[in-house]
Amino acid sequence: MRTVAIHAVPEEQLTHVTFDATMEERISELLTHYPTRRAALLPVLWLCQERYGWIAPGVIEAVAARLGESPAFVQGVVTFYTMFYTSPPARYVLQVCKTLSCAVCGGRELLEHLKARLGIDLGERTQDGTFQLIGVQCLGACGSAPVIQINDDYYENLTIEQLDALVDELSQGKEA
Amino acid sequence: MPKVTIDGTVVEVPAGTNLIEAARQAGVAIPYFCYHPYLSIVGQCRICMVEIEGAPRLAIACATPVTDGMVVRSETSARVKEARDAVMEFLLANHPLDCPVCDQAGECLLQDHSFTEGRDTTHMVETRRTFPGLERRLLGPHIVQNQNRCIHCSRCIRFTQEISETAALTYKSRGNHAFIDTFDGQPFTDPFSACTADVCPVGALTIREFRFRKRAWKLRSTPSVCPGCSIGCNLWIDHHERTVYRFTPRENPAVNATWLCDFGRFLAESLNETHCLHPLHRVEGQLHRVSWGEAMRALALDVSAARTLRVVASANLSNETLFLARELFVRHLKGELVVPVHPGEPRRMKNGKGEWLYSRDAHPNSEGARRLGLELVDGERLARFLYGAADLTVILDPTAHPYLSTAEALQLLRVSPTLSLARTNHPTAEVASWLLPVASLASDEGTFTSSGGHVQRFQPAFSPAGEARPAWQILQLLARAMGVSALDLDSPAAVFAAMATKEKGFSGLEWERLGGGSPSTYREHQHVG
Amino acid sequence: MEPVLLRARGVPNSRHIDTYLAAGGYEGLKKALTMDPEAVTKEVLDSELRGRGGAGFPTGRKWTFVPKEHPGPKYLICNADESEPGTFKDREIIEYDPHLLIEGIAIASYAIRANTAYIYIRGEFVRWARILETAIAEARQRDILGASVMGSNYRLDVWVHRGAGAYICGEETSLIESLEGKRGFPRLKPPFPAVVGVFGKPTVVNNVETLACVPSILTRGAAWFASIGRPRNTGPKLYCVSGHVRRPGVYELPMGVTFREIIEEHCGGIRDGHTLKAFFPGGSSAPVMTPDQIDVKADFDACAEAGSMLGSGGVIVLDDSVDMVEAAANLAHFYAHESCGQCTPCREGSDWAMDILDRILEGHGRPEDPATLLRICQYASQGMTICPLGDAFALPISSIVKKFPYEFERHIAAATPRPPKKLPVLPWAGPRPGFDGQ
Repeated sequence: MRTVAIHAVPEEQLTHVTFDATMEERISELLTHYPTRRAALLPVLWLCQERYGWIAPGVIEAVAARLGESPAFVQGVVTFYTMFYTSPPARYVLQVCKTLSCAVCGGRELLEHLKARLGIDLGERTQDGTFQLIGVQCLGACGSAPVIQINDDYYENLTIEQLDALVDELSQGKEA
Repeated sequence: MPKVTIDGTVVEVPAGTNLIEAARQAGVAIPYFCYHPYLSIVGQCRICMVEIEGAPRLAIACATPVTDGMVVRSETSARVKEARDAVMEFLLANHPLDCPVCDQAGECLLQDHSFTEGRDTTHMVETRRTFPGLERRLLGPHIVQNQNRCIHCSRCIRFTQEISETAALTYKSRGNHAFIDTFDGQPFTDPFSACTADVCPVGALTIREFRFRKRAWKLRSTPSVCPGCSIGCNLWIDHHERTVYRFTPRENPAVNATWLCDFGRFLAESLNETHCLHPLHRVEGQLHRVSWGEAMRALALDVSAARTLRVVASANLSNETLFLARELFVRHLKGELVVPVHPGEPRRMKNGKGEWLYSRDAHPNSEGARRLGLELVDGERLARFLYGAADLTVILDPTAHPYLSTAEALQLLRVSPTLSLARTNHPTAEVASWLLPVASLASDEGTFTSSGGHVQRFQPAFSPAGEARPAWQILQLLARAMGVSALDLDSPAAVFAAMATKEKGFSGLEWERLGGGSPSTYREHQHVG
Repeated sequence: MEPVLLRARGVPNSRHIDTYLAAGGYEGLKKALTMDPEAVTKEVLDSELRGRGGAGFPTGRKWTFVPKEHPGPKYLICNADESEPGTFKDREIIEYDPHLLIEGIAIASYAIRANTAYIYIRGEFVRWARILETAIAEARQRDILGASVMGSNYRLDVWVHRGAGAYICGEETSLIESLEGKRGFPRLKPPFPAVVGVFGKPTVVNNVETLACVPSILTRGAAWFASIGRPRNTGPKLYCVSGHVRRPGVYELPMGVTFREIIEEHCGGIRDGHTLKAFFPGGSSAPVMTPDQIDVKADFDACAEAGSMLGSGGVIVLDDSVDMVEAAANLAHFYAHESCGQCTPCREGSDWAMDILDRILEGHGRPEDPATLLRICQYASQGMTICPLGDAFALPISSIVKKFPYEFERHIAAATPRPPKKLPVLPWAGPRPGFDGQ
């Protein structure tokens, strides 16, 4: 498995977003799936997060204009869901499951280990911008607890040793 | 129509009516926070729980339409009481108990319900959730936000989505940490922004201009009509000790539902401007104070002596005043009379059916003037009107048109004697030979005809400042001084009655039924609107 | 029992359409297309299939609620927003047998005369969303989906729609709101989605496992399906077991095996050196059960009789090492985080309960805390809220308070009063000039 790093576009470059031809083509295709433009909001936001790494205010304005919504409405939607990044994320976002099955099956220990090893607390990121640590609620893989999601990928049944090896690999810049 | 029994009272209401409105008709006040008669129903606050016979669970009254034979218990049900107690406890778990310093106190739905039904204890011992940085924030030019007080009813959000259609407000985040915000914290510049504070059931959104100026329970409310444009929104003048503090919307489904635009609402303060307090007469370039009696005697002579008389009326004047002016100056004295009309900024308002109404001009009574058969003129024609010579010019309202304050107009007025009614400092005072102090809308009484054709009555909130008198009364006094007894009518009601017999546009209308209402009617008041 | 839902698990290249077709795939759809939509619904009704998402509502009944004569579009939504703690079965079906799900979707869509179906999949399941998209593309290429489903004149488009991290979107009306591009706020009911659903049109929302049961009901018949389990609790069921068992995972078993069989036989029992303390029978939103209830049958009615619910079939097993107050606090954090914030009892109650449980764990419990928790739970459930999330947090937490009172007592007996909160104090900069009393 190769976890792809996130490359967040800096905010300065996202103040006036215009969608290029590729984006426009994909948005137009998405719009054919639904009878209303608004329904394409989540898919279009996903597309933007894929493209820009996060959902900057400038991106919200562009999306709102494209779908005919108010920017406030779009921002309300963005902030309702936990997976849209409203600030530029680190290259690897370590999402540690905190919910019951993981918590009692080693998840808590993994989290404490990560905090100590990276020297950061939940919600923080390492200085070099490689890792960001967040606690998440149930990832829906309780049978293989403890579970960590890194960017888009699930890592299940993790031991502390496996996690250390993974972090080593990722921090050496290799896309694991 | 379905019949429903609520706490023992049987009422018959149209199909589709919800239980809150049905109960209101039965004289039962079901409490609510998120429900608003002109907004969509979301059922969020859960305080309007009622017991319906035959249903195992309690139901929310706002989202339950009546069905025939339904038997509902609100205040007579112990289960309902317990459930509402619990909901109040939840709502107050994080709501600050800062009523003494909260400007909403006295007109707060949460406080009202807490006061009448609530308990004085709570099981809550945790630290209250707060929103640092959002506790005293200017959300926009007119709105101050205190998110700590928000009970998440979403009325303000629904207002911007459904009524003003800017969708400028939204929840951000979710759960107990959700808060109200604009896009990226940008200024909330909705043209109806202050309505969000009206609909806010608590002190989370308050109006910057009104905050801490007067306690709500000190205010008296007088029904009136907005002077801002031709739409004719219904409002309350909220006043105390002869000072106007604010306008609040007065319910009228046909015109403004329970809304006011920011422009019209903030005209309230302008009613307090009264600079002209006594009749003044210019002798050898100097204005001298005279009594009303002296003024009227002298004016009666001047007016009858004038071979050519021209009158600049105003679309800001009531139907009664315009009628008296027409009868006196045109019918009786054969003078010429025009009503200048200024287009002003375009304004709009949404009525109770969700339709937009658009203003035609910047005056509350241009339609009334039109229906009285008066000549409506624009700035250009007003200039031509003043250019001709006359022995006497009468200006009934210096603010009738912006042209009247131009240097050109003043030059034209200097040529011959001018009588002007005045309330505030205005350039025409420099050239007028007579200045008569006139009362503001807050001290006047009469009717305006809206551009939609509604004849709407406004009532006097308090007596005029100084020796000022309402415009209709000045005309009545002049008529009396001149011996025109047919126009010596002692109240706007009497003028209206005379007008109703003569004018097609007013036939069949009765003064007493022209609305206004009494300030005590619950639903028309601030809480809902 | 031979596996029905998980028959592809372990089969090489099981996701590919050819593998699926070779194993007799899409025969159910082919058969359905020869029948009246009402006959298909009847077959599912007769099978007594009940929804596997948690509520256990009879699937065929749900389909019959769609107004037949309704003009204009109707929609089928497959709920793949699997977010209930302890539940991970739908992912297993998609991972090994995406075409089984697509076939189920196609049959259900045909039965309710929907020409568009959406699969709403939770945002975290990136990999599984891609698997579904690949499978849909394959099916479209073979004319199994598209303008002419398997050569008939029935048209069906299936789209994958990703959520973005919100547990509440597993609730069907919230899912519909989210699919429409809004914040996932559950709607007031009635109207129910079958009448006014997505885009204001009649809509059926079915869980992945429910739809995956449908093809075999068509091929093997309702009677066969109903013969598994017992009346009203029929068919194969995926049990997801997590927590302190030796072999956690997804097990396909006939509906109605006992929890003892699931935990002790299939999962190899509790891990070494420990004993069973408690288990959640159907995801974390079900009231907790204790070891004396281990012989209860794992089906809808038996769990309900035992005062709990089968829910999604996510069995969370906790052994004697677990502090039940901590377990309750963990769940309270989950629900407080996932409450949408729309209605008062859930928004305030979940946060409040979390604060109380956290305070107890911090060593500052108060004797009245368990009673307060029960009061919060009572008034956040039983119809006090718009959607079942109120019940979802209230039932497990109140059941823990009721069944493990001594654990709370232990914490509270050892508690100390909470020290007053330190408030910032303005620094004293010495007397101001001219402020020395003169």
